Amino acid sequence: MTDLKELKRPGGELASRPLHFIWMVDCSGSMLDDKIGTVNYAIQATIPEMLDAATNNPFAKLLVRTLSFSSGAQWVTPAPVSIEDFVWSDLSADGVTDMGHALKLLRAALDIPPMSDRALPPVIVLLSDGRPTDDYKPELEKLLAMPWGKKAVRIAIAIGQDADLNVLEEFTGKSELVLEAMNRDALVKMIKWASTAASMVSAPAVAGSDSPVTTLDMEAVKNLSAARSIGSTSTADVW
Amino acid sequence: MSLLEDGVFLCGVSGKRYEVMKKLGAGGQGEVYEIECDGHSYALKWYFPKFSTDKQEALIENLVRRGSPDSAFLWPEDMVYSDTESFGYVMALRPKHYKSISDLMRRRAEPTFAVLTKAAYNLVAGYEKLHAMGFAYGDISFGNLFFDPDTGEVLICDNDNVCAPNAANPMSVFGTPRFMAPEIVVGKATPSRNTDLYSLAILLFNMLLLHHPLEGKRESDTECMDVHAMYKLYGSEAVFIFDPDSEVNRPVAGVHDNALIYWRLYPEYVRELFTKSFTTGLREPARRITETQWKAALARLAEGITRCSCGAEILQKSEPCWSCHEQLTVDNVQLTVVAHPDNLEMLGLRNDSSQTWTYIRADGTQIPVPPGKTAAIAVGARIEFANTGGIQT
Repeated sequence: MTDLKELKRPGGELASRPLHFIWMVDCSGSMLDDKIGTVNYAIQATIPEMLDAATNNPFAKLLVRTLSFSSGAQWVTPAPVSIEDFVWSDLSADGVTDMGHALKLLRAALDIPPMSDRALPPVIVLLSDGRPTDDYKPELEKLLAMPWGKKAVRIAIAIGQDADLNVLEEFTGKSELVLEAMNRDALVKMIKWASTAASMVSAPAVAGSDSPVTTLDMEAVKNLSAARSIGSTSTADVW
Repeated sequence: MSLLEDGVFLCGVSGKRYEVMKKLGAGGQGEVYEIECDGHSYALKWYFPKFSTDKQEALIENLVRRGSPDSAFLWPEDMVYSDTESFGYVMALRPKHYKSISDLMRRRAEPTFAVLTKAAYNLVAGYEKLHAMGFAYGDISFGNLFFDPDTGEVLICDNDNVCAPNAANPMSVFGTPRFMAPEIVVGKATPSRNTDLYSLAILLFNMLLLHHPLEGKRESDTECMDVHAMYKLYGSEAVFIFDPDSEVNRPVAGVHDNALIYWRLYPEYVRELFTKSFTTGLREPARRITETQWKAALARLAEGITRCSCGAEILQKSEPCWSCHEQLTVDNVQLTVVAHPDNLEMLGLRNDSSQTWTYIRADGTQIPVPPGKTAAIAVGARIEFANTGGIQT
């Protein structure tokens, strides 16, 4: 046979499931200056590492977006963006803490549709330095009653000593998943750790024979206590 | 923030002096740098302090001493220390044109079936040599394997956990979810040569079929793929999607299309090895398919690949082409595509065989085509070759 054209192998890509990752950031006036600046820096810095991890796991399709709240709430990225195309838009701080409004937007996004009924558990990382100024409770209850709200891996980062830990624990459902960042270094570390939740969800660590399978790598969470102690002992820059 | 600064010099145990050129990346255990010595470039993996353990150091010393199983490995060649407690090891740099298996799965690398089969063969051959040295790899998966999409040459990376595990000294890694043997998923075993053989079968199935062998109806019926669901799917309740004795986990059209497209393309002897891997091999670690069996099957597969006139590679000559659906037994048909002497745009097929063909026009009229004569390629016409199915012209 002479000079035949070459036809590609048939079929499509490996079948994958979407993994929705949502940064939910408190942009109230108290986040002004260094807090919001550190958040902007730290989240942007996680992008290459999240991309690397996602590239190595074609079984998951990592989709990221950002929800900000202050006086009102809004999606910074209205539609989920593939991690390959995700660009961090710097947030600025001003206004009050309308967490309830943000939870309402989050609920709409976790409904089926727009969510598919088959997916990996979504990851929601809530960062806040204060307490909600609106009536967040009914919204949170409704969120936790939804199929994807219930199944989501919910992590909270409490920034500084004014953050309302009780509210954040209501959100995460587990006190271990409320991380307290008392200074800049701790905040950067915790944001970095939270970003790895995406790969822990898409490729969870092995379960031991008698240990109950956990949703997240709790060992890593415990390791963060080191970061917490840095926050409490450091003399400079304690929030 | 980097552990090492560009321009720093480090001494190797071999006596070589390396200059740090630039950071290439970071992983869970440390960072990777490009380094130079005497005009040659190498890669350096440098551990985070937390992972600079005595155990890790002893492991790598042993790997350097034993030497690489095969050129397919980016093997530790030299140990490097700094003034601090930290250390690292030197290995060859991965050439840029190599693609990851993840690229293959995402269709960002498009090798032919022939190259893909060769890459699969080379990986099996590499692991065979590693196992022959008494070692286990522990984490066969997409992330640490690379291949040349034009030649099928392979590179096996991340060899720093390679060891000879036993009950007293189990491996410190468990492997990668979806690749781990079921007995590891359920916590009854740690990585070994036999769990490597399971992960290897998972890898080969994924490479050849672009699908996971345990993801069928059970997967599509699972809405939330959380750790509990994965424990069952890949561990306690794993069922092969083409298990001849159980139809409960068949691929679902529209969800698992690659499995449905590719499975029938491969010859029976390949499907049989996969079937054994994910039926008896799921439950009986000592009865998994060995490298020798895979090598024989993959070599036979590579040898049998032919190309249909439509351009598609055919993996089984006895089956119709998967693309144009024509039966073409290339080996038995000797022909040449020729242009009409008076009209170069009109093409025909010249019978170069020793037997007479039968040309069947669209209206059904049959005309014999003796050896040396040419039949025009025309709409609706067919040629019956002697003793074969024939092709549509």
